[in-house]
Amino acid sequence: MPAESVSRIPVEERLFSLVLALLATETGLTKNEVLSTVQGYRQRYSAGGDNANLERQFERDKDDIRDLGVPLETVDSPGQAGNNQNLRYRIPRGSYELPSDITFSAEETTLLNLAAMVWREGSLSGESRRAVIKLKGLGLVADEPVLGYAPRIRVRDASFEPLRAALERNAVVRFAYLKPGEAEAGVREVAPLALVQHQGRWHLHALEPGTEVTKTFLLRRIVSQVTTTGSTFPAPSGDQTARALTELDDVWEAHTADVEVVTDSDASTRLLKRRGTVRLPSGALRLHYSDANIFADELAGYGPEALVLSPPALREAVRSRLLGIVAEHTHHDGAAEGSSHG
Amino acid sequence: MAERPSPLKAQDKLAFLLSLVPFLMEHERISVQDAADHFGVTPQQVRDAVELIAVSGIPGETGQYQHGDLFDLAWDDFEENDQIVLTNLVAIDDAPRFSGREAAALIAGLQYLSALPENADRTAIATLMAKLARGASGPPSQFAVGGSESDGTLALIRESVASGLQLEFDYVNSRGEHERRRVDPLRIESMDADWYLRGWCHLREAVRTFRIDRIGNPRVTTAPITTHAADVQLSDALFEGSENDLVVTIDVAPAAASLLADYLTDGARSTIVDGRTRTTLRVSHYHGLKRLVGGLPGMVTVVEPADARQAVAEWAAAGAAQYDSTAHSTTGAAH
Repeated sequence: MPAESVSRIPVEERLFSLVLALLATETGLTKNEVLSTVQGYRQRYSAGGDNANLERQFERDKDDIRDLGVPLETVDSPGQAGNNQNLRYRIPRGSYELPSDITFSAEETTLLNLAAMVWREGSLSGESRRAVIKLKGLGLVADEPVLGYAPRIRVRDASFEPLRAALERNAVVRFAYLKPGEAEAGVREVAPLALVQHQGRWHLHALEPGTEVTKTFLLRRIVSQVTTTGSTFPAPSGDQTARALTELDDVWEAHTADVEVVTDSDASTRLLKRRGTVRLPSGALRLHYSDANIFADELAGYGPEALVLSPPALREAVRSRLLGIVAEHTHHDGAAEGSSHG
Repeated sequence: MAERPSPLKAQDKLAFLLSLVPFLMEHERISVQDAADHFGVTPQQVRDAVELIAVSGIPGETGQYQHGDLFDLAWDDFEENDQIVLTNLVAIDDAPRFSGREAAALIAGLQYLSALPENADRTAIATLMAKLARGASGPPSQFAVGGSESDGTLALIRESVASGLQLEFDYVNSRGEHERRRVDPLRIESMDADWYLRGWCHLREAVRTFRIDRIGNPRVTTAPITTHAADVQLSDALFEGSENDLVVTIDVAPAAASLLADYLTDGARSTIVDGRTRTTLRVSHYHGLKRLVGGLPGMVTVVEPADARQAVAEWAAAGAAQYDSTAHSTTGAAH
């Protein structure tokens, strides 16, 4: 067994050699040609023997390379369409290389580096790190910014990554979703179309399979693991993210609340800075929101600094939250307890 | 599957190799140090990559990796002078495209940053996004971040730094007291929808973090900035605990646990009590605690100390009491 020599060829050398070999071929290489000649495979290739392990290695390597944005394609051998053993693999230069007219100015490079920094934590950090490596490869040098920035998005919803993976594969997903006001989560089965962050929260825009009905789900209300059902759906056409964001903006525009705030309070400073807030002649603020339950949570945090005038449902939602907090913090609940009764 | 090496690491290295080659082609001769500085990696990482490139190539006509089928390097220059000169090139002519996901990550990052004054030129940003999409080998994945409007305070902070003049603004401190602060801005930071200014505070004579949406009536003063970003080593943590912090025991619903991660005490132990996590968090004052707990109704309960419970209860009770009177009679300020 040539196992010892194998371990000495690092993974990146095998992947790099595979990319070079497939870039250099016009007609493509068959799997057998790859396994028997390319560095990192050939050392483990057994002529006429069983190469099942090596074939599996090649399958995984293809996925890893494609993940990187390398367009590895399969072509039928001339006159042998459908013959799996004679499929040929290649990387067409035109789809591999960055078009030569795409260049970035120093200003643009600064912005792109900042944009990549946004994802330095979490599931997209690998993508943005590799995007920056590729930008550097273009020899670009960023402007020294006037003011330092350290922007960051943290995707804290456990469902984000499985949904994103399902979205790329057009896979139907299943999850338990807890609607506010309902005691039990209901199981949903949907075709994911887009993941969008709106007003700081991640939403899934999805299609009910077999219908034209799209729905938007808040990721933070997904209370189970996200699983795929095994079925797929036809890739939607058009920019689904733009559609999803427009719909969310429409909802935001349509919902307003009038809230009285204490002058110079934290509530007054911060609520006035929310997008779209206007001060009414009475001094109250007219605020936009997309989800009454989430907005009620936010307003409850302001305690006596904010008083909802309308709509009545939001008024009641904030009031009942505040009463709930009072109850939770004045009743004995078996825990270590002090004297908090007034 | 168990033998699978960590693919992320190898993929990063592959991306580096595929990007380094065209970079070295552009620079006929470059020192290892300069290349390392450019890519933000160590000189040894560059040396390792160059050594690998130099012995790599294509199987070629013979399938044997003959000499002309390999990259080659001016080895003497490399080994003696730490200079990189590629003397033979194979297969690669140009830089690789972005993957659809990489392009999407950058595009969404740009969308997220749309509040920055640098991004005020929306047409330029749209052009940049279109270039990224065109420079990707696949369609950008379907995720995006809704843009926000340019923030006037951010623009003013930038102006303050550009003109070298201190910024002045109203701010409510952690005890709920109003103060006029004069600050030398050092860095803008953000976490999701929340934006912060880190700056040298002339009132406290220390580095402080300010929430941008709590900054009131900002203006650029005529007093020159005395502390610059280069003078201060900013820690990665936005909020540093102080020894005067109060430690509070809370019960948290699983759904809210991640929202409180920033406030938890280092190495806080947690136990499960009735399906909720009991843990401890740090607050500088109950003024902040009551707002934090109030904003997570039903999800967080303060267990002890008793006066913390009381502070939260009184805050919520005062809020609720407003609704018992008529809609237009306000209660007094809560400080």
